[in-house]
Amino acid sequence: MTRMNRRTLISASAVLVVAALTAATVPAQAAEVGVSNSEIKLGMTLPMTGTASPGYNKIPGAMKAYFDYLNANGGVNGRKITLKVEDDRYVPTEAVAKTNKLILQDKVMALISPLGTANNKAIAASVNPARRGVPVLFVNSGFSGFTDTTKYPTTYSILPSYVMEAKIMAEYIKDNFAGKTLGLLYQDDDFGTDALKGFTQAGITFAVKVPYASGSQGAAGVPAGWVTKLSAAKPDVVILFGVSSATAAGLGTAAALKYAPQWILGSVGGDATTIKASGVPAGVLYNAIGASFAPATTDADDEYVKLFSDIYAKAVPGSAFDNNVLIGMNSAFVAAQALKAAGPDLTRKSLMAAIDAKGASFASAALLPLNYSKTSHVGYNGYWFGKYSPTGDLKPVDGKYVLYTTDSGSGAVVKSTWKRPAMPAKGLPN
Amino acid sequence: MIQLLNTILIGVTSGAIYALMAMAIVLVWRSTRVINFAQAGLALASTYIGYEALQIVDNYWIALICAMFAGAAISAFIEITFMRILLKHTSSGPIASVAPIIATLGLLGIIKALITMIWGGQDAVIKPPLSNTGFSIGTHTLVFSPMKLAIIVSVALLVFVFSLIFQKTNIGLALRASAYAPEIARLAGVKVDLVRTLGWALSGASGAAAGLLLTSNGNGAFSPESAEFSLLFISGFIAAVVGGLDSLVGAVIGGIFLGLITAFVLMYISGSLFFIAPFVVLLLVLFIRPQGIIGVKAGRRA
Amino acid sequence: MHKPSNKKRIAIFLLLGVAIYFLSGAVDELRVYQGASVAVFVVGIASIILLTGYSGQVSLGQGALLGVGGYAAALMRIHFNTPIWICFAVAILAAAVAGALLGLAAARLSGPYLAGTTLAFAVGLPSVANQFQLLGGEQGLLFDVGFPPLSFGEDFTQYKWFFWIASLATLIAIFWLQNVMRSRYGRSWKAVRGNDVAAELAGINLTRNKTLAFTLSAGLAGLSGALLAMTIGTVSPSAFPLALSFSLLTGAVLAGVTTLGGVMIGAVTLVAIPDIAGAVASRFGSSEAVTNNLPGLLVSALLILTVLFVPNGPVEQFRARREHRVNK
Repeated sequence: MTRMNRRTLISASAVLVVAALTAATVPAQAAEVGVSNSEIKLGMTLPMTGTASPGYNKIPGAMKAYFDYLNANGGVNGRKITLKVEDDRYVPTEAVAKTNKLILQDKVMALISPLGTANNKAIAASVNPARRGVPVLFVNSGFSGFTDTTKYPTTYSILPSYVMEAKIMAEYIKDNFAGKTLGLLYQDDDFGTDALKGFTQAGITFAVKVPYASGSQGAAGVPAGWVTKLSAAKPDVVILFGVSSATAAGLGTAAALKYAPQWILGSVGGDATTIKASGVPAGVLYNAIGASFAPATTDADDEYVKLFSDIYAKAVPGSAFDNNVLIGMNSAFVAAQALKAAGPDLTRKSLMAAIDAKGASFASAALLPLNYSKTSHVGYNGYWFGKYSPTGDLKPVDGKYVLYTTDSGSGAVVKSTWKRPAMPAKGLPN
Repeated sequence: MIQLLNTILIGVTSGAIYALMAMAIVLVWRSTRVINFAQAGLALASTYIGYEALQIVDNYWIALICAMFAGAAISAFIEITFMRILLKHTSSGPIASVAPIIATLGLLGIIKALITMIWGGQDAVIKPPLSNTGFSIGTHTLVFSPMKLAIIVSVALLVFVFSLIFQKTNIGLALRASAYAPEIARLAGVKVDLVRTLGWALSGASGAAAGLLLTSNGNGAFSPESAEFSLLFISGFIAAVVGGLDSLVGAVIGGIFLGLITAFVLMYISGSLFFIAPFVVLLLVLFIRPQGIIGVKAGRRA
Repeated sequence: MHKPSNKKRIAIFLLLGVAIYFLSGAVDELRVYQGASVAVFVVGIASIILLTGYSGQVSLGQGALLGVGGYAAALMRIHFNTPIWICFAVAILAAAVAGALLGLAAARLSGPYLAGTTLAFAVGLPSVANQFQLLGGEQGLLFDVGFPPLSFGEDFTQYKWFFWIASLATLIAIFWLQNVMRSRYGRSWKAVRGNDVAAELAGINLTRNKTLAFTLSAGLAGLSGALLAMTIGTVSPSAFPLALSFSLLTGAVLAGVTTLGGVMIGAVTLVAIPDIAGAVASRFGSSEAVTNNLPGLLVSALLILTVLFVPNGPVEQFRARREHRVNK
């Protein structure tokens, strides 16, 4: 044997011996991942920076504000909730990498409110929380596909789906803008096509449809192109069904070009504070129509708005209490109830069983009920419409909330008469 | 008709900004035979400095000049400290052709990371000084506003000033000599090092102007991740190549050309072709006329 | 130091394979997943070493070629449900064809024109996927390699399966590449890289030589892309951004762009740095902005330092120093 061979053989054997020894030690079976006697770890991915981030990057701060309030009041069954947040810049492949980190490295118990349709699809395909039994709570996306419990058994929706939203918008248009011509701006991925599905189902036809590539809304000249195309077709009503940055770009550019149809803003991009923060004057929003399922953020009489804005103002002073904050805190509130309902013997399975069994009766700030059951992972299923005031805040039309509800299928759109029950004491799960 | 006019206006305005970036690239190329990939980051950094200046001075045009000075200073600094060492260490060897590209890419990474660490990833907003409401012709509104007119005027002014510098002084010739044959240039009395640094400084100023004006072409919001900034460099680079990489005039023509083609594609074909159009333009130009619109054939092989 | 013979090389590769097998059993799932990512980078960086280090052509668009491979593999799986190895083979072929075309165009260019064309290629090609519904648009397509065979037991996780597939593919690819580099093609590339005028005078057809390098390099890139698609589970334009091309170039420089020896160093650095940087940043409790950007900063700084002080890469530098000492 030459020196070279012997050396290689010796070093290789050493490697093998070490490997075999390490392989022989099997770690003991751990208690439920992410749960200890004092702590529950939740993980979240969303765009904190990047083109799509404006508005949405306030959500983690809002959720942490609620969780801190909850922890200060005893937590859930004696455990404090910690939220680990990762920035995925709205890029699906980064969402996968960050979710891997959350599940495998940080060992969170469950994912909460991961944002983005394409991102969630990528996470489901690659990280496969379903196969690992990791609950994906209250996805921050309205993609109707996520309610399919055979494909996504551990995923729980909370937002009404885009199909629902489109159908409800169509109904509102039939009630208030019958006979008018329509235009649409939408994102050309599953987010946008989901909405198109709903509009088609409701029998709506558009005089002009303008798709935009996700990410291109920030480039010079692109929004001007949208507006030029829209104004060329001269629709009376234009629906903006994009993310906040796209909606803001569309509104701002249209104002600069003195194009002012009747605007209808989709819920995803319709947050007034975000739009105003990107430079769009409040006057442009005036009389535009928007939709929401939670109470208006300016509704000072609403007990949830009062409590949440109070908590948020103490936790993040100086930051405006907008729709993103309200909905974020609401998701945190619902999650807290689910964790409480699962009882002191908290496991991933018991958490999901609790939502299936008791989810429909959880308290929440929304003006619509939750629809969780053993066979349904659908959250809210409707919207009310409002108009933006001269200061650019969304307020219900005529001061009254009129709630439209429907399903993601071919069901009709009906007005709901559900009354929200009183908030549990101090906004804590009971 | 109005749509056609609007398309042309959109194209010329973005094209003017690409032209500024193209000029920056050409200036560095002419002075040191290097494509400075960090230019994209430098333009962004200068824009942030302009933003800070605006907070202090509250005058857009002064902030613009500050940004240009900052861009010039930073670029000169990089040339003196970084590029000289680099070129000395890597003038021979297998990595010679690749080293400047990789090094400037590394520099870009550092600049971008530092910017995000200092200013955060959120949008900063530079309010355009002039209104962005379009001019009206009868009942139609053009995609052309006082602000966009100001952009075109600014670019034209800068191009005029740069060409004046190149014509009235020996700088142009000195730059080329320093790049092609530095030893001979030195013997002829050219202060090669100074000239190179000057080339980089001018490039930095041009890039800074491009960055700041770019934000005013839209609603003034920008961040390290802005799509527009990432595309600014690529578009500027393609414009420079299209124009022939060696002449400032070529850079301007290349910029306007690219801007117009992109605007027409977006308007009349599809909005989602945004990232493909510049690529196709580049391929076509390189196939039909590899030396660029103005370039000289001998200069192609570096 | 003479190079080991073929038999010895096969033995070394087999030993590596066995070592990897045991390693995969000893570490946790996160490391196994990272191991798969390292394999992806090893093949990707090797493709750049072939193209830039051996053939002297700079491409900023390798990421797009990875994309071609990834999409080809995904499409084969979705429409024909072929076994993984066929998907990979198709990925290699498709990327090689794309590389050949790009190479033909590139052979006429050099310097900044080449860089510019490949740069535009890197940005433009992924967006082509948006145009055709067949390619899944902005969202992309799913690439599901399926679950590991049941005979491996319940505990055999999917990430371990990825790691095994990726490692095997990588070992085969690198072995093959080493063979190619020692062949007359490798020598002719080195000749052209050293002095293309002299090489042409010696009878080497420049265009064919350069295009061949592009084609083979692209094939490797295609394999890397298919492996990447496997680990992420989807292919989409955002999976193959410009940053990917830059990362591969960085890894190649860190590895020593002219030789294969350091390819592991480059790949491991690319995967390890974000990890280490993240740990360091959270230890010091810094802001979100710092934590997210520290990896990029470190990698870029490392890149610049390498180019300045170790331009041929650590392995080559080490070898040169050893020879210098011997020659003394």
